[in-house]
Amino acid sequence: MNAQAPGRQDPLLAEAGRTLLYLGNEAVVRGALEAGVRFACGYPGTPSSEITDSFARLAQRTGVAFEYSVNEKIALEMAFAASLAGARSIVAMKHLGLTYAGDPLTTIPYIGVNAGMVIVSAADPSCRTSPNEQDQRYLGPFVHMPVIEPAGAQQALEMTRAAFQLSEQCRLPVLLRPTTRVCHTRAPVTVGELRPGAVAGFTRDPRRYIPMPANAVRMRAELEQRMAAAEAATRSPLFRDARGEGRVGVLAFGAAAAVCEDVLSELGARVRLLWLGVAHPLPQDWLLEQLRGLDELWVIEELSPSSRMPSPPCATATAWAPASAASAAASCPPCSSTSRRCCCGPWRRWLRARFPRRSPPGRRSRRARPCCAPSVRTGRRSLPRARRWAKRHCFFNDIGCYTLGCGQPLESGDALLSMGAGFTLAAGAARVTGQKTVGFMGDSTFFHSGMPALLNAIKEDVNMVAVILDNDVTAMTGFQESPLVEVSDGCITRRADIVEVVRALGARHVERVDPEDLSRAITVFREAWQRPGLSVIVSEHPCPVFAQRAGAHPGKRTVFAIDTERCKHCGRESCGQRCSQGIARGYERAMVRARAQESGAQGPVPPVAACASACPLFLCVQGYSAHIAAGRYADALELIMDGLPLPDAVCRVCHRPCEDVCVRAQTDAPVAINDLKRFVVEWADRQPEFPHRATREPDHGRSVAVVGAGPAGLAAAHELRVRGYRVRLLDAAAEPGGLLRYGIPAYRLPREALARDVRRVLELGIQFEGGRRLGRDFSIDELLEGHDAVVLAIGAGKPLRAKVPGKGPVQLDALSFLRDEGQRLQGPAVVVGGGNSAVDAARSALRRGASQVSIVCLEARDAMPAIAGEIHEAELEGVSLRTSSRLVRLTPEGVDVVGVRALKPGASSPSDYADVEGATCQLPAAHLLWAIGQIPDPEALDHAPGLRWQDARLQVDTQTGQTAMPRVFAAGDLAPGEQTVTGAIALGRRAAWGLDRSLRGDVADKRMPPPHPAKRKVTGRPGVLRADCARRAAPPERAAAERTGDFGETTGVLTEQQARLEAQRCTICGNCGNCNACIELFGCPAFVQEGAAVRIDPAVCTGCGVCAHFCPTGAIHAVSIEEGP
Amino acid sequence: MSADTSLRILLAGVGGQGVLTGARVIGEAALAAGLPVRIGQLHGMSQRGGSVEATVVIGPGRTAFVGAGACDCLLALEPLEALRASARLKPGAQVWLNTATLVPATLGALGRPYPSLPQIEQALAARGARVHSLDASALAARAGAARAVSPVMLGVLVGAGRLPVSERQFEQAMRDFTPPRVLETTLRAWRLGIDASMQQSGKEAERA
Repeated sequence: MNAQAPGRQDPLLAEAGRTLLYLGNEAVVRGALEAGVRFACGYPGTPSSEITDSFARLAQRTGVAFEYSVNEKIALEMAFAASLAGARSIVAMKHLGLTYAGDPLTTIPYIGVNAGMVIVSAADPSCRTSPNEQDQRYLGPFVHMPVIEPAGAQQALEMTRAAFQLSEQCRLPVLLRPTTRVCHTRAPVTVGELRPGAVAGFTRDPRRYIPMPANAVRMRAELEQRMAAAEAATRSPLFRDARGEGRVGVLAFGAAAAVCEDVLSELGARVRLLWLGVAHPLPQDWLLEQLRGLDELWVIEELSPSSRMPSPPCATATAWAPASAASAAASCPPCSSTSRRCCCGPWRRWLRARFPRRSPPGRRSRRARPCCAPSVRTGRRSLPRARRWAKRHCFFNDIGCYTLGCGQPLESGDALLSMGAGFTLAAGAARVTGQKTVGFMGDSTFFHSGMPALLNAIKEDVNMVAVILDNDVTAMTGFQESPLVEVSDGCITRRADIVEVVRALGARHVERVDPEDLSRAITVFREAWQRPGLSVIVSEHPCPVFAQRAGAHPGKRTVFAIDTERCKHCGRESCGQRCSQGIARGYERAMVRARAQESGAQGPVPPVAACASACPLFLCVQGYSAHIAAGRYADALELIMDGLPLPDAVCRVCHRPCEDVCVRAQTDAPVAINDLKRFVVEWADRQPEFPHRATREPDHGRSVAVVGAGPAGLAAAHELRVRGYRVRLLDAAAEPGGLLRYGIPAYRLPREALARDVRRVLELGIQFEGGRRLGRDFSIDELLEGHDAVVLAIGAGKPLRAKVPGKGPVQLDALSFLRDEGQRLQGPAVVVGGGNSAVDAARSALRRGASQVSIVCLEARDAMPAIAGEIHEAELEGVSLRTSSRLVRLTPEGVDVVGVRALKPGASSPSDYADVEGATCQLPAAHLLWAIGQIPDPEALDHAPGLRWQDARLQVDTQTGQTAMPRVFAAGDLAPGEQTVTGAIALGRRAAWGLDRSLRGDVADKRMPPPHPAKRKVTGRPGVLRADCARRAAPPERAAAERTGDFGETTGVLTEQQARLEAQRCTICGNCGNCNACIELFGCPAFVQEGAAVRIDPAVCTGCGVCAHFCPTGAIHAVSIEEGP
Repeated sequence: MSADTSLRILLAGVGGQGVLTGARVIGEAALAAGLPVRIGQLHGMSQRGGSVEATVVIGPGRTAFVGAGACDCLLALEPLEALRASARLKPGAQVWLNTATLVPATLGALGRPYPSLPQIEQALAARGARVHSLDASALAARAGAARAVSPVMLGVLVGAGRLPVSERQFEQAMRDFTPPRVLETTLRAWRLGIDASMQQSGKEAERA
């Protein structure tokens, strides 16, 4: 971490006496500087990397010669050479590195060092970043060298400083072994004096420096004396200490001892802690002396029980004192770090009385970091291809950032062993199986130990593809330089390139590719695959993470951005409404995405499909069609009911504006959207338990009265209940339903279907009171006293009639006729009006005894507001239409009618029509049913003078439904807006949101109402047609002759097969509302969700490109941005 | 050997959120206040996008180790990471939870659901913790940089008065260990965190 501001003094060079927070690794560096180190080197590897990185940073300022060596063996030899030449030297690596350097390591002690030499080999108990957790304390007795272990940062500094002296006293290299916990813990360190070192120079002495057999035998004997000297030199409290008093002792080393001390201190236990900072040679005499005062001894160790190794220096079991100690120690588990395991076995039993019990942490999903797209070198859009490849072939991976490619989504690794083994494993497997294999290796690993491996494969011309991934730097450990590349101040200088090296090694087929050039990369890979024998591919692309961090191009930086045209996020920003269905919910979502993408290939896609834009409720039709096509009806239901609380009613009576704009109509006929909805709802009704349950916010104590239980009132009540309100629903009629119950005949909306909807709404905990009329039984002010707010949804109760001269048939209002189900007619009837009530009244009149029924309306046939299907059904049943006509006179026999023509397109009021001369006729009528509309009844609201009226409707805020009285909201036909059932539901939801917003503020926006019609843009563009494009399905209808006799439901339901085929007719012409793959599949902090849109924050983006890899629509691309100073 | 008086803070988040820097700033502020402090950080493979946690222990002792049932304060920069750390909570521990989620790749790919926020809050509460939830990412965005989740959470911690460090000392540590380029937004985010924390404690007091 280099969080300090530039220009400030480097904390590692702070003046003596100051106390600073150092990482254990930084303390090691400071310790070495205080010891006057002259040469430092190493190979980066977690957890040791900060040591070499700090030296790299400080080399110039301190005059210490530093290098990142090509590998650990070379680093060790370099440090040894420096020591022979009289310079104090330090070499740093991770534990695995030192065993790699085993050859020189085992001989160095024989020869012995001149100036102090410290080997830092950072251990990794629990394998946090390593494939094994080898215990390097064994190396002490094995190669004859002192092994010391710091317990914390301060000790790391002091021990490192002392280690040089120790090394010189015993003429042996000293192994300093910090563990991850010490390396990566930052603690206060008080620093000493920095000391410039000196270089004594090399003096020839072949007897000393050449371990030929004769000399080696002599050296072996000297080793014992040197170890004895080491024992004598580690007698200070820095290397061993006894703390606390008690008859029970605990013996622990280094980091484990620090944990023990803290645990015992927390417990307040009276225990004598024997602290060892030296693992080899063990201070036997001191230990024996300490044991004398103890009854019991516990040995707490990380990894393996090295302190109990029987030979050579350790005391015998009896000398370790009480028998219980030996047996107790023997049962400690021989693995992993103290922190986790120190409380195991008998130790835990011993402590249990004082340690509160803890349940073990539950297993959680791992949060693995996925591999960079560029580092895998397959190019961004090649993921599917790469995956297909990965399934068919054997990949041998290696150690580096590309190791992450073994994980999802690439899974590009079948085996992994050690540095450089990617090529050897691939070669070995190819030689015995005869099959072609692939080996991967990064640039730094290639130089570390991959070159001999490749040379070996070249020699045998092994049938394999060797891929060298060259990204300039050693990316995994923090962007260190590699042998052919110099990194200084974030700039890269290349000395040579790997292709030349590989050619020089003798490889015949060597190709260079840039993975960003995908087509060429694929060609090269294919050729390499098909060619027998060894092919080498050098894939070159700079590490984008490094390029960005280092500012490779000053003032410019590459980040990734989302192309909004291609992104398949929900296009519903205007409302912020999103369906809650995640991408993981099923493959049909993927199908929607894929098809939206497919259609996107033909040009820009409207963010929202035409059907959804036309729907007052903004339902995601293409979403639920896709679910139906896939047979996932519960998911379809969820999409529907997310915005529609009364599905049973609406799937029967909706006026279907969606079908009017369906782009499929441009090909043949619109998708039967409402029938699909009906299919899902009927499916749900048949399930033992209704599959959808609205998720409700917890009650927050506010209460609301909703007046009117029609579609708007029910929707508002439902919405408010979902938002956590206590809701009281009042209606003048005895039963809830309003127009749905009293204005729509049962053959269209059976009472049972309505009852299901009503039940589901009321079941949420809504209190219904029937037979309570506003203005008669209660007033708005009374409601406001007991409630926080009121929603008025009393509908339009006052029917309109036109003034027609003459006297004749009995006049009725269609709505009261429909409401009074017992009323019978005799003789012919004429219905006036072109809307759904007119058609309903006409068809009901037929069923209630009228001998013949005619509809008279001003509109032309195709301009009638009634649902086209309903008009057609009415005609089938025998209703005759007199469109483009109006009544001119009532006569005892019936009515006189005259033809009219519209004066302008979109004519809506009677004054927009003119009579056509001479086009009169007479219609027989005993009954005249008025169905030319209705307006709200102002009488019911007379008692509330605070309300304002406009054009026979309540004046409301069109966004929020708020009336002139601040705590009173209006919805449905009472308010201006579309006068349809679906429109009323939308207004109900909008008023509920407006009310919630006024009472609770922004919280209400978590759930938005359908967007305001004024903000919609219905754009239709052709989507994708399926090959198996079917004809529009039609639900079964009862025969006209049969159905006019009763009020049984006339229209049936699609069969499952029909529904699924019909759903496939949807062309998915809009963007899928719900891709979200970047958010849901890849948890990068740079992704920001703004409303419904997704954006990448350039300040956070590191330019790694993983997201571009994940994006299923290819909407994420790299951009270069200017960066301020 | 005395009874334990240390304050053990755990910061849990996702690579890139600023967990390590956050821990560093708390540690430096404590050091400046003359308190014994240690910072532990677990990183390595957990670069961007992986889990990252850091511990800060203020009080006498040698390790920065926060074991099971030992954590006094959890600053969770991501809800799932809070869940992961839940076993470490001491009964009565305080948890500050950023509610903005980052769904791990493995979860999505395996088709497993991300636990819901109430589930996570319940799991934390079941450990006897007091959970304070807030949308720190939104505040960070308001401060001008979505990356500044960590400063917001630090502000929350400071505003809650849980640190034995004065606000001024903490601000100095922020200034010392934040690159000048982002100092302004970082401090702004930090102050928004303090305000949010004050408001929250006010509301909680009201409710009580």
